[in-house]
Amino acid sequence: MERDPDRNTHLPERTLSADEVRRLYDQHGPALVAYACSIVADTAAAEDVVHEIFLRLLHGDTLIPEMPVAYIYRAVRNAALNSRRKGNRSVSFEDQPLAAKSLFQHDDGNREAALALQAALLELPEEQREVVVLRIWSGMTLEEAADLSGVSPNTAASRYRYALEKLRERLKPYRKG
Amino acid sequence: MKEHDEQFEDFLREFQPRRPRALPAPLAAKPIWPQRLVAAAVIAVSLGVSLWSLWRKSPPRKDLAAAKTTQALPDAKSAPAPLSLLPLTQLALENPARLDAVLTEASRHVLPSLRGSESTLRALAKE
Repeated sequence: MERDPDRNTHLPERTLSADEVRRLYDQHGPALVAYACSIVADTAAAEDVVHEIFLRLLHGDTLIPEMPVAYIYRAVRNAALNSRRKGNRSVSFEDQPLAAKSLFQHDDGNREAALALQAALLELPEEQREVVVLRIWSGMTLEEAADLSGVSPNTAASRYRYALEKLRERLKPYRKG
Repeated sequence: MKEHDEQFEDFLREFQPRRPRALPAPLAAKPIWPQRLVAAAVIAVSLGVSLWSLWRKSPPRKDLAAAKTTQALPDAKSAPAPLSLLPLTQLALENPARLDAVLTEASRHVLPSLRGSESTLRALAKE
């Protein structure tokens, strides 16, 4: 049997069932919201962006590749950039109620540390914040993060290193030992 | 240095992104056929009522009216049942000969008479 020469370059496309969409949302929703938040810097707007993408998928008229996660990350990135450009949310992060802006929760329930992390992330330049979120909470390799951000792996690695240094310094009071 | 970074990465992973609000339940797609059925029923009823109304209100034709003036009204007992399209169609399909007979019989009562001293032709000739 001959191998399809286009097989590697053109992945087959399909629509997702509602169950698949909900499973993907349960599995990747939190990380996707964190990722969208790294772009729009607003938890509510980030949730709106992720919802928009998943509702579109639920509608069932979007053809997506066999590897849907990468597609969804790219869709969320584009939607987040659009949302920020349009200024969909006018409430600044500081003006939001505490419950609304707490994007992270700590395993030990340390809410102060969670808010400190969020604040530290917001202080990072966007491109550094993006690569940290993709690497830490989305579990991507630096190469995958670079591909999604449209930069070279070296650039992504460099951004990541700078970001970790700043976060380490900022979160020193909350680390054990 | 790398170990240092890995320790810090583990520390960062102690924080979990908050679970976003649940996806709303998708709206169930409304089936279209009941709407189409209702629309078809409304159109059929409207058409039926319009036709019935037209048939009831249609003015008598002048030539028929003239004929009626000269022709004696048929006896109520001998008047045939009004012709209906559906039974006639059915009869035409099943028994064309019988249809001819029925139409001939009906024409004696419905169409103006052309025979006898009081026929329509004579009445018109006098005028």
